Amino acid sequence: MASSVFWYLREFLRAAWIKKFLFAKTAPLTTPSHFRGFPEPTGKTCQHALFCMMACPAPGAIEVVHAGDGWIPRIHKGHCIRCGLCVEACPNGVLKSGRIQETMQREGTSLLFSFRIAIDKELCTGCGNCCTACPVNKQADAQMGAGGHSSNDDVIMRVQEGDIVVIHEDKCTGCKTCEVSCPNGAIRIARILEGYQQPVQEGSQ
Amino acid sequence: MKRIVDVNIPLGPIHPCFKEPIRLKCEAKGERVTGAEVELGYMKKGIERIMKGRPWQEVMFLAERVCGICSVIHNMVFIEAMEQISDIAVPPRAAYLRVIANELDRMQSHMLANFSYCYTIEHETLGMYLLDLREQVMDELERLTGARVTCAYIIPGGVRCDIPKKEAGDLQVSLDRMEADLRRYAGMFEDGPMIALRSRGVGILTQEAAQRAHVVGPTARGSGIAYDCRQNHPTYQKLGFVPITRPDCDNFARVMIRFDEVFQSIDLIRKCLHELPKGVIRGGGVCKAGEIRYSGEAPRGELTYFIKSDEFGRIVEIQIQTPSIMNIEACCHEMIIGSDSIADVTATFISADPCVACTER
Amino acid sequence: MNILQRIKNVVRSRSIHVAYVDVGSCNGCDIEVLACLAPRYDIEQYGIYVHNNPREADVLLVIGAYTPGWEEKLAMVWEKIPAPKAAITIGNCPISGCLFDRRGTFVDPPVKKHIPIAAEVPGCPPRPTEILQAILSVRDSVFANWEETHP
Repeated sequence: MASSVFWYLREFLRAAWIKKFLFAKTAPLTTPSHFRGFPEPTGKTCQHALFCMMACPAPGAIEVVHAGDGWIPRIHKGHCIRCGLCVEACPNGVLKSGRIQETMQREGTSLLFSFRIAIDKELCTGCGNCCTACPVNKQADAQMGAGGHSSNDDVIMRVQEGDIVVIHEDKCTGCKTCEVSCPNGAIRIARILEGYQQPVQEGSQ
Repeated sequence: MKRIVDVNIPLGPIHPCFKEPIRLKCEAKGERVTGAEVELGYMKKGIERIMKGRPWQEVMFLAERVCGICSVIHNMVFIEAMEQISDIAVPPRAAYLRVIANELDRMQSHMLANFSYCYTIEHETLGMYLLDLREQVMDELERLTGARVTCAYIIPGGVRCDIPKKEAGDLQVSLDRMEADLRRYAGMFEDGPMIALRSRGVGILTQEAAQRAHVVGPTARGSGIAYDCRQNHPTYQKLGFVPITRPDCDNFARVMIRFDEVFQSIDLIRKCLHELPKGVIRGGGVCKAGEIRYSGEAPRGELTYFIKSDEFGRIVEIQIQTPSIMNIEACCHEMIIGSDSIADVTATFISADPCVACTER
Repeated sequence: MNILQRIKNVVRSRSIHVAYVDVGSCNGCDIEVLACLAPRYDIEQYGIYVHNNPREADVLLVIGAYTPGWEEKLAMVWEKIPAPKAAITIGNCPISGCLFDRRGTFVDPPVKKHIPIAAEVPGCPPRPTEILQAILSVRDSVFANWEETHP
């Protein structure tokens, strides 16, 4: 190592060094394509299944709104945590984010929902608010009585002799309208999510 | 009882070296520190209260955001606890992928802790080298999971996405490059005379004091206590994991243990990639009712979740015990007392790697 | 606007000192701000110096959802910063509380109702490139013409 002043002066007065010192900047920064960004629409039609809203963990991040004749999910950027659950839960592939759609197709993974109704018999007064508020009930029997009475057997639940009876738990879509309308908090809906993958055949790794 | 001190110095919530708000009140006689007190409460959000009554797909994200630095281990401990309650079996490929994500997160957390220490000692050059190396680890984590921080990679029954063969090869190449760079930086730390002046013999925590204060993690392993929760985990037992300890109980030992653990993590990831079995990555399964106490090894120590769930898998009661609770307490009551100067107080505190967001959730 | 004011505008926008305050976050956004200091995203090449002293700062970075421990203290910190100043919030927590805005929480979002905010960066956490873009946009919109808007 040359310890003389002239060696240093010659080093630092090179044109290449001066140019790099004055004008070098860091490399342009790009976001890689596999980064899980805010979900964006793919162009497929939204069928209003609302599984994206069921799966979203952040309150107020996603809502399905009218767009022309159909529906489209809209993301609010200040609330969305970019987790990608809505992308995986949608059965029609309406949203995309990062590489999630490619991995779902390549590996056959998906998220499956099932909904359960749990009624606390001690708190329930038999008022029937839940039955009249339920949108699936409204579609099955538009003439349901004010107290939740119905003679139609296609409804999810109805009030019989002062007590609530659940008939078709599998028709529940998990919207929780009944939970909001209950004055006692007696009815609660559980949204059960399962991570599922189709079994692979040998040789397709 | 009235104590006479010369001066009471508060190291306040906003401080160039503390990244998180915590108030450290040091009582000093001249320059020698005789006592210290910690005042918390600046980051209490009530996460455990928010978690009540929610299913796993919402609690998982809340658990990750208890601490953003060690988010993968919170995710893993919570999901593994729910799997043990509900008897869900994890496919072997998913178990190895979980270990890879966990070790990558541990590497970046240890590099951040060492950067913090070098920055506190005012050795900015080495700190910037470590921070640059950490960016390469974050790149790998992003390629595996899709996000740099708070990855949300682990779900009950498996993981979210798989690693293709080509990317596994790229990961091996990156690991080799990172290891070569890190050997150089660890050597710089070990041999530097100024660093030794400020770290060797400073902030002593003897083994008896460590056992009395119940410290965990690298802080305890730097004092000779060989306890690591990864010894009790089946996948790590298959990989042949043995904890590392160092006998000298000062700042230098704690920082060097973190370097050693990064090398150990690189070896573990290489073994995982080598032995990665074929198969599915998700085995399905729903969460059920039960009660459990489950521990895992966060980068800062032992992390414990006490969970009680109802028949649909929603949380009824939950308590989280994070490692920084014990470490901060031990730091203030054992390590700082007897410091020769106030300048050593910040260095000692940062070498115990406090994570205040974990301490008050 | 005379030549002295023009020089002041140029100098103020080329040298910005930053202080940050964590009012109760998970630290994810905090480490992305630290990643901005790293040589890869290099915030210092723009003349931006991140120390942590409110008295010498121009820009205050607010991270986190507002916890009760910071009740009046955030306003006090904001008062201490001399003009010209701007506050930027980083992440989802100061905008809406992110995931913490549920029943049973202690936080009080948004931070906008406690101190005036000049820019917001959404994301949980946002990438360092997005944080850099926000700070540079504040530089152009607030500091580059401070003398004209504040006689």
